[in-house]
Amino acid sequence: MSQAADATHAHAPTSTGIDHKKLIMWLFLASDCMFFGTLISTHLLYRKLYPTGFTDAEGHQQFIQKLFNIELTSFSTFILLMSSFLMALAVSAMHKGQLKSFRRNVLGVIFFGLIFLGCQVYEFTHFFHEGLTIQNSVFGSTFYVLTGTHGTHVAIGILWLILLYFYSFTGKLTGHMGGLDVEVAGLYWHFVDIVWIIIFTVVYLVEYLGPSGFWGTGLPLAQ
Amino acid sequence: MSHDSHHAPVADKMELAPERSDLGLFRPDRTRGLFDWLTTVDHKKLGIMYGAFAMLFFLIGGVEALAIRTQLARPDNDFVTARMYNQLFTMHGTTMIFLGVMPLSAAFFNFLVPLQIGARDVAFPRLNAFSLWTFVAGAMVLNGSWLFEFAHLAGWFDNFAWHKALVYTDFAPANGWFSYAPLSGTFGQANAALQAPRFTGVGTDFWIIGIQILGIASLAASFNFICTIVNMRAKGMTMMRLPVFTWMTLVTSILIILAFPAITVALIELMFDRQFGANFFNPSAGGQPVLWQHLFWIFGHPEVYILVLPAMGIVSEILPTFTGKALFGYPIIVFSGAVIGFLGFAVWSHHMFTTGLGPIPTAAFSLLTMAIAVPTGVKIFNWLGTIWGGRIRFTPPMVLALGFIWMFMCGGFSGVMHSSAPADSQQQDSYFVIAHFHYVLLGGVLLGLMAGLYFWFPKIFGRMPNAGIAYLASGMVILGFNLAFGPMHYLGLAGMPRRTHTYHAGNGWETWNYVATIGAFILGIGVFLAFVNLVYTAFKGVKCASDPWNGRTLEWSLPSPVPEYNFARSPIVASRDVFFEHKHGVHKLTYENDGGEAGVHMPSQSWFPLLAGFGFLIIGFGMPMMAMGMPHAGWMVIAGLGVMFMGIWLWALEGPGGYMLKTPSDPHGAAAQAKAESSAY
Repeated sequence: MSQAADATHAHAPTSTGIDHKKLIMWLFLASDCMFFGTLISTHLLYRKLYPTGFTDAEGHQQFIQKLFNIELTSFSTFILLMSSFLMALAVSAMHKGQLKSFRRNVLGVIFFGLIFLGCQVYEFTHFFHEGLTIQNSVFGSTFYVLTGTHGTHVAIGILWLILLYFYSFTGKLTGHMGGLDVEVAGLYWHFVDIVWIIIFTVVYLVEYLGPSGFWGTGLPLAQ
Repeated sequence: MSHDSHHAPVADKMELAPERSDLGLFRPDRTRGLFDWLTTVDHKKLGIMYGAFAMLFFLIGGVEALAIRTQLARPDNDFVTARMYNQLFTMHGTTMIFLGVMPLSAAFFNFLVPLQIGARDVAFPRLNAFSLWTFVAGAMVLNGSWLFEFAHLAGWFDNFAWHKALVYTDFAPANGWFSYAPLSGTFGQANAALQAPRFTGVGTDFWIIGIQILGIASLAASFNFICTIVNMRAKGMTMMRLPVFTWMTLVTSILIILAFPAITVALIELMFDRQFGANFFNPSAGGQPVLWQHLFWIFGHPEVYILVLPAMGIVSEILPTFTGKALFGYPIIVFSGAVIGFLGFAVWSHHMFTTGLGPIPTAAFSLLTMAIAVPTGVKIFNWLGTIWGGRIRFTPPMVLALGFIWMFMCGGFSGVMHSSAPADSQQQDSYFVIAHFHYVLLGGVLLGLMAGLYFWFPKIFGRMPNAGIAYLASGMVILGFNLAFGPMHYLGLAGMPRRTHTYHAGNGWETWNYVATIGAFILGIGVFLAFVNLVYTAFKGVKCASDPWNGRTLEWSLPSPVPEYNFARSPIVASRDVFFEHKHGVHKLTYENDGGEAGVHMPSQSWFPLLAGFGFLIIGFGMPMMAMGMPHAGWMVIAGLGVMFMGIWLWALEGPGGYMLKTPSDPHGAAAQAKAESSAY
């Protein structure tokens, strides 16, 4: 292996100075913005069109504020935010070549991500038993598909980090390229986190805005 | 690092010792023939395969078009049934757009972009192979629906319980290329098996998963090309020295990564409606079918520019070459292309004037649609400025490029007519619209792409297509095209509706329909002749010099066919139209001191992009089979997902690899030789 080859491949200077892998991840995230933008728009359009909630299997009118458990969702949102903090620490550790610290932090991210997913599984099960299904209302369709797609993103992120964790034991996750690999995974993870902040705001929090919800026809909060 | 295991530079990859990847498997580097094509990561070979598949699907889409025209040649005709007619026009549109024009553009992106920017490959060679094989998988899924349809017509499915339970039996897509809800969706209440009644057969499910897979292929390719263009330019190749074709590739790729997510989500929603009983577009549960139209056209209108911008880029390369002048107003042409791309996102509702958007949005979208004619007109005037006073050589590519300007302008004029909402509500769903978009897509895009094929074929294969047949084919295409689609303006304004399988005599439509059919056959024979000429050239054509047209950009400085490492030494670019400057101007091409005996780094070949694409093929057939109610088809989908993930995982673990290839140490040789040789025409 000659030095020249290393210069033309592994550390080839790019026109912009940005690594290919980092650039392509930013491009993917730009595309994913449009992806989630479309899903969130679908949800909000229908929410505005049908502000009164949904009807359960027995034909009873149900209100979304009564269905949502805002305390639980706030908790899982907080956990996901903290996982981003650990992710930042993991990226920083990898750049400094501190493998042990990287592994500790990335395990933390995985653990927090799993808690978030667990909360979502619990929430879906709970809502299903309360009578909200993907089939019985437009709200059910948009809610489950939007949050489920986000959950799939989180699950792919967790899978990716687990693979990186085990890969770190092979000795190949080193140097500039190793740091880059972890940083790119970090970009993805932070993005998925930011998307959740938006979903948490426009799908959950706005239901509790004002005396009867942002959409105007929900239950008064006092009930 | 895996690089430590590398061998000394070799002159030919067959001299390499067998090398194991990080997985312990042998890399398929030392292969020739079929295995080489299946595992290649060379952007030039991938480009050739994109082109070959695109031409195949152009022919299939063309046969579908001719079946449509044969049916419409006479009033009250029964050449095909109404049911078959729906499938024919749907598959014709889908095939031409997603399997004909887009992959042919991708073929040019692949082959030309690295050569034009002075790079040795794209940023992610294996991802590039993944894009190709995923596209092939999606194309096979869409066209595989025909096999199910033929098996159904032959009665092979008659004895199966799942077949007897089907309400609608159109196995090929039959909704039109935009699959409007609620026709493509569901109605009523979902049953215990999560299935709601549907309006159409499983053809729609083939369409949904097929387009989804093609979208993944396009997205992956676009990420790769943006990365390549932004990041891998040779020294001195600033953005404003990029050839216009590369610029249009960049704009098109940006359009793809921002527009395709909308259709991805729309397809997911429609798939959930059809297969899991959701209510996104189900009118009886409060779903809004118009939402489908919005989501589709938010993708669909940028898609129009995704189709046309590469052809505009090709024409912007051909005109300067055959007039011997620099492109008139290069910065303005580039800027207009970017403006077209930007405005392309703001005009989608002009496809929906008749849905009743209300006066304000209708006026706004009307205005923006008229505005988009401005940058397009600017481009046309710049092209005319390029031709003006030039020493024009009427070679086959030049004839087709001039045809592009002329025909595309006709399509543009009727496009401006559509932008006026009151006029559009008269023209909606009539043959006037058919005439309009065929002038844009066929008279524009197809002529542009054919011009590109004739222009770059000598570079790709080192052989010159037969000029006589090329002129004949070009003439037949332009004549037949105008004969086929010109009368449709009249037919549309005379009230003939789109997408009806026949019409009664006595409406005054007979003559022009007959003329249109004759024109369609002349056009079809012309395109076929052109393709036969090209395929023959690829194998048996007359060998030609490396720079037969007196070319202007970097690819012409290379030998034909281009060696696998592209540039023996990386070029240093000192001006726009750098190779023309090198030959006739003051700025000479210089080269970096790389390559030669030390070798250049070549990426290793891999099986895994093909494996991942194969996974998509299994998913693509599994989903519609699940919708048919075939037993255990769900397991097929899961197996396909498994194969796809396995392919990507092994691809990540095998490591990038690579080997060193010796190159000639004198890069000036080729360029000097090219200068000495005069034009073949």
